[in-house]
Amino acid sequence: MQDVTITINGDIVTGTIDERTLLLDFIRDVAGKTGTHNGCLEARCGCCSVEVEGDIVKSCNVLALQVAGRSVTTIEGLSKERLRPVEHVTSQSLAGMYAPLEAMGADVNDLHPVQVAFHQCHALQCGFCTPGMVMVMKNYLEENPEPTRDDVRTAIAGNLCRCTGYQHIVDAGMMAAETMRSQPDNSRPAPARPAHDH
Amino acid sequence: MTQAPARPVASGVAAKLVGQSVPRKEDLALLTGTARFIDDIRLPGMVYAKILRSEVAHARVRSVDTSTALTMPGVLDAMCGADLVGKVKPWGDLMQDLLVGDHTPFAVDKVLYHGQELAAVVASSRYEALDALEKIEVDLDQLKAYVDPEEAIAPGAGLIQEGITYEFGDGNIFDRYKVRIGDIDVAEEEADVVVRQRFTTNRQAGAALDPHGCIADFDSFTGVLTIYSSTQSIYMVRDVLADVLQMPRNKVRVIIPEVGAGFGSKAQIFPYEVIAAIFSMRLGRPVHLVLTRKEIFQSGTARNGQVRYAELMCKRDGTITGYRDYIIHNTGAMSVWGNQVLHIGTNVGMLPYPIPNIRVDGDIVHTNTTPGGALRGFGIPQMIWAKEQLVDMAAAELGLSALEIRSRNVVRPEVFPFRTPMGHVIDSTTIYDCLQKSAEAIGFEEHTAHPTPYEGIGLAVSMKYTSCRHPSFDTDQSAVRLRLETDGTVTIYSSDVTHGQGHATMLSQIVADVLGVGFEKITLAQPDSLNSPFGLGTYASRGAAVLGTACRMAAERLRERLLTIAAHVLDADIASLEMSNDRVYIARLPDSGLYLEILAGIVAYRTHQLPPGFEPSLEATATYDTPTEREGADGSGNLSVTYSGAAHAARVRVDPETGLIRIVDYVMAHDTGVVINPLVVEGQHQGGFLMGMGMALGEDYLYDDEGRLLNASFKNYLAPTATDMPELDHNFEIPAPSLTIPGGQKGAGESGTGPVPAAVGNAVFNASGVRFTSLPITPEKMLLALREKERQGLSVFRFPDDMPDFTGPRTHAEWPEPDLSESVDFDWDSFDEIEDLELDDLGDVDGAP
Repeated sequence: MQDVTITINGDIVTGTIDERTLLLDFIRDVAGKTGTHNGCLEARCGCCSVEVEGDIVKSCNVLALQVAGRSVTTIEGLSKERLRPVEHVTSQSLAGMYAPLEAMGADVNDLHPVQVAFHQCHALQCGFCTPGMVMVMKNYLEENPEPTRDDVRTAIAGNLCRCTGYQHIVDAGMMAAETMRSQPDNSRPAPARPAHDH
Repeated sequence: MTQAPARPVASGVAAKLVGQSVPRKEDLALLTGTARFIDDIRLPGMVYAKILRSEVAHARVRSVDTSTALTMPGVLDAMCGADLVGKVKPWGDLMQDLLVGDHTPFAVDKVLYHGQELAAVVASSRYEALDALEKIEVDLDQLKAYVDPEEAIAPGAGLIQEGITYEFGDGNIFDRYKVRIGDIDVAEEEADVVVRQRFTTNRQAGAALDPHGCIADFDSFTGVLTIYSSTQSIYMVRDVLADVLQMPRNKVRVIIPEVGAGFGSKAQIFPYEVIAAIFSMRLGRPVHLVLTRKEIFQSGTARNGQVRYAELMCKRDGTITGYRDYIIHNTGAMSVWGNQVLHIGTNVGMLPYPIPNIRVDGDIVHTNTTPGGALRGFGIPQMIWAKEQLVDMAAAELGLSALEIRSRNVVRPEVFPFRTPMGHVIDSTTIYDCLQKSAEAIGFEEHTAHPTPYEGIGLAVSMKYTSCRHPSFDTDQSAVRLRLETDGTVTIYSSDVTHGQGHATMLSQIVADVLGVGFEKITLAQPDSLNSPFGLGTYASRGAAVLGTACRMAAERLRERLLTIAAHVLDADIASLEMSNDRVYIARLPDSGLYLEILAGIVAYRTHQLPPGFEPSLEATATYDTPTEREGADGSGNLSVTYSGAAHAARVRVDPETGLIRIVDYVMAHDTGVVINPLVVEGQHQGGFLMGMGMALGEDYLYDDEGRLLNASFKNYLAPTATDMPELDHNFEIPAPSLTIPGGQKGAGESGTGPVPAAVGNAVFNASGVRFTSLPITPEKMLLALREKERQGLSVFRFPDDMPDFTGPRTHAEWPEPDLSESVDFDWDSFDEIEDLELDDLGDVDGAP
């Protein structure tokens, strides 16, 4: 057993772990962020993709020890703002003028453009592959702001989806790229917070 | 901080939501990582179980010893098959009104497939559980394994399932299927062209990315077993689990977490659910048991493989007059659904042609392979793969185009509903228009006139059922309970698990339209067997049509209640009232009226304002069972309430150097009736295509001679990636609203899969001159076939049947005849008479010992 500290979405997280612990399990069990999913444990499906200081890694294929002291961003790190309370809707109707994000007390700006595009393009069905898919897409589009559809396909070739046939995911990638080009300042690095006890 | 803009009070009548691409309610939790799938649930004191699985496919179990494993650090309990004999009830396959008790938590006397459960341990952590598995000692006596279903029914083959007497089967034939429509002999005699071919299909996994798994949590004081399970059907899990454990059904509570897809592979109970339950009952602690990817490939069920000796008979003008088939249906070592897959797939797979003469014999066969199960398409892709290729072969002999022969035959009645000879009642369809649209959009005429070398076009048409009334499953019901909450919001309770289909959105659209309540005010409760109304679960493309109808009925009942109260309070005539914008109002005064929360408040807290004697309830429940038929003795019957049409056209390019086959364009034209949410339905079709494409071009279970599954990993199980896929932007909906379903909708989930392997196969033939008779069509097979075709100097060629070393039968005369033992000659007419007997005729059975 060994003490390991990793910064996850700006939070400093320390845990005493079995040396065999995967980064995936550290994120899920020590930091308690279960949005990063275990789909195969052999670095094939991409459901566990996270960012380690700007690089995408499949967290099932990395030991937590290997990223000790470094900074990791997971799906939960993309939309921290959304965690504010949901406004309760009472008697005023929105039928016929449907605006789901607004109705949820959220704002389009609370979500990353990739998340917004996935919602609008119906790029997720069961949603299990979505966190990994979104992390990969975000990372790719930050470095490649003007991709073709084939570029987007290649970018997500390491992420499996069994539901969508990928068509709407590629649509979402193109839509997100456009949004990100028009709002170059959408990266909001989260401030570091005091360490939690884990 | 961004402020949500002030909301205006909407006036006038709100637009209807059914028919609009409303973005899904489900998305936010899934997009932000807050959704809880099975592996994300943590309960206090939870411990981890792991299963030891057999490394051989067929063996006698001499002994399984868990004693050393029990001494390992952190280990709390262990068990194997012998420990449970006489303590839990077997469960099993569905077979012509009977359940066969061939499923047990662990192999006891015999291992039947690679990956079958042998023992399990539970420990404080996953690592400790895995360490302990290695200390379980297993002594097996290996037997010859049967991978090939034809080998499994050959004379002298060893018996796989021992100790079970099948009523209609024999040896490794677990059950038999037959269809007798019209007179096939006359059809053959009078046909101008008969085309024949032996076709085989592959095993395919659902491979839902969210793993199969559960958490069992037994409370020893109340005796309640709570099980969180990633399943498609809560009541199937509850009823079977309660029966296996011999517990009252209201003491078994099944709760659904977020379910990350299933495609049919989670539409049954699995041994791991029983194992986790028993561990939890023995320990009094929550037990986590989530399968690994390898375990899911091995035991999570796979598509049933088939061998089909299929024949199609046609008149000179192209009219299809007969279809004959002998099918060997490989359903693996055991299979809850395998039998039904053959019945449903073959019955519905006859469509969209009203074929007058049909003779089918099917042997449902056990092999030492992964259990067969439900998988998107449910037998229809296999049937269409054979039949739609025969249609192209007949067209070639008759000098007709692939479009002409199909145009001549697709069901196109003058009057609906129309009953086909097979018994399908087609209540509406635009399949002819879909066919024309798909051919036009792919450029069929243009390509036929000016073909490009190594590029080909293929067509295929199919229809998909929207029901699950099976020969062994005489029900097709779903239910919804709606509750108007005291603030005017609405909660939907249903037991049909949403796992990607968007039930919350789809049902909310229906409720919003009927009750005039805001879409954002409607919530779908997670299925929970303690408080969800009884329904079958989510499979068979029933969501929109069957569950949606139950939801509409419940909403109409609730609407009736609310209108009655409002009429009383407003002292108005009920006929003058409307519901919209969260209000009930007098039609000519749309900006006035009573808010739903006021009406709810009256029912809940101010009951003296209710009409005299009015029951103060805010709930309405409806169960919808479709007007479908059971299968008749001749195999005919209308098994589906309505049929969704699919006409697909593929354009493929074959690289003769590498054998690589690329789908460069793909057109899907569908009739899904009234589409509730076009974007969601488009997504269903695209996903359905992916599964069909995987089946056509790469996905397969590879076994060695000893029955070991060699590719239980995404490393070498070739699930399509984004770069493998064509652009799927040529989608057309030509709706023919269902006349039977009140809202007009038809099932969308599986109609995108049915035609894909056949359309690709036909296109590959058109491109390369090679008629592939076995799936999947891989680059290796393509290279072999091209080389052999060239060596023999042929322009067209069937593969693998035209290979010199092909040892299978080549002509009809050599084809195997189904084994006509006595059970097949069972007198069905007298069987019907027995069914008709009154119970009194059987005497008083109550006093029987």
